[in-house]
Amino acid sequence: MEQREIAIEAKNVCINYRIMKNVTVRHNLFKKRSHEETFEAVKNVSFTVEKGGILGVIGKNGSGKSTLLRAIAGVFSPNSGSIDLKGHTVSLMALGVGFKENLTGRDNIALSGMLLGFGENQIRDKMQEIVDFAEIGEFIDRPVRTYSSGMHSKLAFAITAMLETDIMLVDEVLSVGDERFKKKSLSKMKELITDKNRTVIIVSHNIDTLKSLCDEVMWIHDGELREMGKPEEVLTHYVEFMK
Amino acid sequence: MYMLNSLIMIIPTLMGLFMHSYFCHGRLTVIKKTGLFFLYGIMVSLTMYGIAWTRGIKGDGIAHMTLSHKIEFTILGCVMSFCMALGMCLCIERDITFEKLRMYLIRFAGDTRKYYKYAIKSAKADLRSEVANAYLDWLWWLIEPFCMMLIYTLIFGVVFHASEEYFPIFIFSGLSMWTFFSRGMNVSVNIVRNNKGIISKVYLPKFILYFARMLVNGFKMLVSFVVVVGMLIVFRVPVTWRILYVIPVMIVFFLFTFGLGSILMHFGVYVNDLSYIVGIILSMLMYFTGTFYAVGKRIPAPFGELLEQFNPVAYCIASMRNAALYSTSPQLDLLVMWGLVSVVLSAVGVYTIYRNENAYVKVI
Repeated sequence: MEQREIAIEAKNVCINYRIMKNVTVRHNLFKKRSHEETFEAVKNVSFTVEKGGILGVIGKNGSGKSTLLRAIAGVFSPNSGSIDLKGHTVSLMALGVGFKENLTGRDNIALSGMLLGFGENQIRDKMQEIVDFAEIGEFIDRPVRTYSSGMHSKLAFAITAMLETDIMLVDEVLSVGDERFKKKSLSKMKELITDKNRTVIIVSHNIDTLKSLCDEVMWIHDGELREMGKPEEVLTHYVEFMK
Repeated sequence: MYMLNSLIMIIPTLMGLFMHSYFCHGRLTVIKKTGLFFLYGIMVSLTMYGIAWTRGIKGDGIAHMTLSHKIEFTILGCVMSFCMALGMCLCIERDITFEKLRMYLIRFAGDTRKYYKYAIKSAKADLRSEVANAYLDWLWWLIEPFCMMLIYTLIFGVVFHASEEYFPIFIFSGLSMWTFFSRGMNVSVNIVRNNKGIISKVYLPKFILYFARMLVNGFKMLVSFVVVVGMLIVFRVPVTWRILYVIPVMIVFFLFTFGLGSILMHFGVYVNDLSYIVGIILSMLMYFTGTFYAVGKRIPAPFGELLEQFNPVAYCIASMRNAALYSTSPQLDLLVMWGLVSVVLSAVGVYTIYRNENAYVKVI
C-alpha cells in the first residue's frame, strides 16, 4: 500500500479523571482531605489516521470514546502520551452544543467560527451559507435561548458542517432535525466525510453506518484499544462480544 | 504586648509559607513545612530589620513604633515574603522553574494575540444582546448608576450631612468604579460553569472568558465616566493637568481586577458555594472602600489612612477622585507598589489557570 500523509498521530494516550467531587467550603474547612481517586478513562491508546481517512470508533457506553474525541479536539490534553494533529484545524461535532444563550444565532455563528480558528472575513463569507442551511428563518436574529431543541441542533449542525475544518470529529451526530432535515444533513455529512482531503473520526453505535462509511474501525473497551482494523472483522467481533 | 509585636514577623512568615505551598500544589511534608517556616521566619526578620535600619529605627525600635507603622510593616513584610516565596520556589522546587515560567509567558503572549479578537467580539455581542430586548436600550447604562447616585446623594449628603466637596460626582465616580470591581468578582466565580457549553467543545484559554466579561463591564464604566466628565463641566470643577493621573490609576485598577478575578475564577470551579462568600466579602468591602464617603477622613486616625492605602480598590478610587475632582497627585510610590502587586496577581492567576484548566472540563 502506498504511504500516505498522516493527519492524526496518537501515542500512548492516557486520560485520567480525578474523581474530585465538587467541594463546598464546609467540606474544605471541616473535613480531612479525602483520598483522591483517579479513574482512567483512556488507557495507553496509540493509533494513526491517514489524511483523508475515515476512522470509526465503537465500544459500549462509558468506554472512553467521547473522552478520546475531546482530547483530540484539544478540549483537554492527555495526562500522558501525545496527540499530534500535524497542524490541521479540527472541530468537534457533538450533541448539545456550546452556544451563548443570550446571544443571537448570528453572533453565535461568528463566535463559534472564531473559536474554530477562522478569520472574520472567512466567517462573513460563510455566514449566508450557514443561515440558509440551518433553515431557522428569522430566528437567526433572535437569542438562542428562544430556540426549540430542534433549531438548536440544526444551527449547531450547520455551523460545523459549513465551517469546514481539516479534521472532523463526529460524536453520534450523523443527522439531526425532522425527516426532511435529517435527509439533508445526512447527505451533507456523507459529502463531508467522503471528501478526499478531510480526515474524519466517527463515534457511533450504529454498526451499519460504520460499515458503510469507514475505512477502518477501532474498538475501545474500558479505555483500552481492543482491536483495530478492517470494519467487517472488527465489527463482527464486536457484535459477537456484545451478545 | 510582646505577642502582638511578634505578629509583625509571624504573619509575613505564614504568608510566605502559604504561597510556597500554593505554588507546589500543597504537596509539602510536615518536616519540610516546619523547615520552611523557620527559613522564612529568619529571612523575613532579617529583611524587616534591614528595612527598619535604613529608615533609622534601630535595635528594638520596632517594638516601640506606633500602631499604624506596625501595620504598615506587617503588610510590607507580606509583600516581601510573597516575593521570597516566589524566588524560593523558582530555585528549589521542581514544579516551577525559570524555563517553565518563560514557556508560560510565551504561551500567554501567543494566546492573547490569538484570542483577543474573540474577546472583543464576544464583549460586543454581549453588550448588544443586553440592550436588544430592553425598552430603554443602552440608556440603562446611564440611568442605573445615575439613580444610584441620586439615592446615595440623598441619604449620605442630606440625611448624614456628608461634607465632601462636589458630593454627587464624588459618589458617582466612586460608584461606577466599585460596580466594575464587584461585578467582575461576582462574575468570575461562576464564569467557567456558565460557559460550560463552549469550553467542552473547543479549547480556549479560560482567562479569555473573564477578560471578555471585563471588557463588557469596562465599557459600562466608560459610559459612566462620560457622564462624570459632563458633571465636571456642569459643576464647574476646576480641572488641572493632574487629571491625567486618572489613566495610570485606572490601568492599575484594571490589572488588579483581572488578577484577583482570575484567581477567584479558578477556585470558583472547585468550590461550589464560593459565590456566597464572595458576596459577603464584597458587601463588607464596599463599606471599607469608601464608595460614598472618604475613607481616609471619616475612619479614625491610623485606620482610615491605612485602609485607604492598603485596600487597593479604595486606593484606586481615592486617587482617581483626588486627581479628577481635587486636582491633587496620588502617592506615586503606592501607585507603583499596587501596580507591581497587580501584575504579580495577574501572573499568579494566569499561571494557576494554565496549570489547572485541563481539569476544568472534567469537573463541571
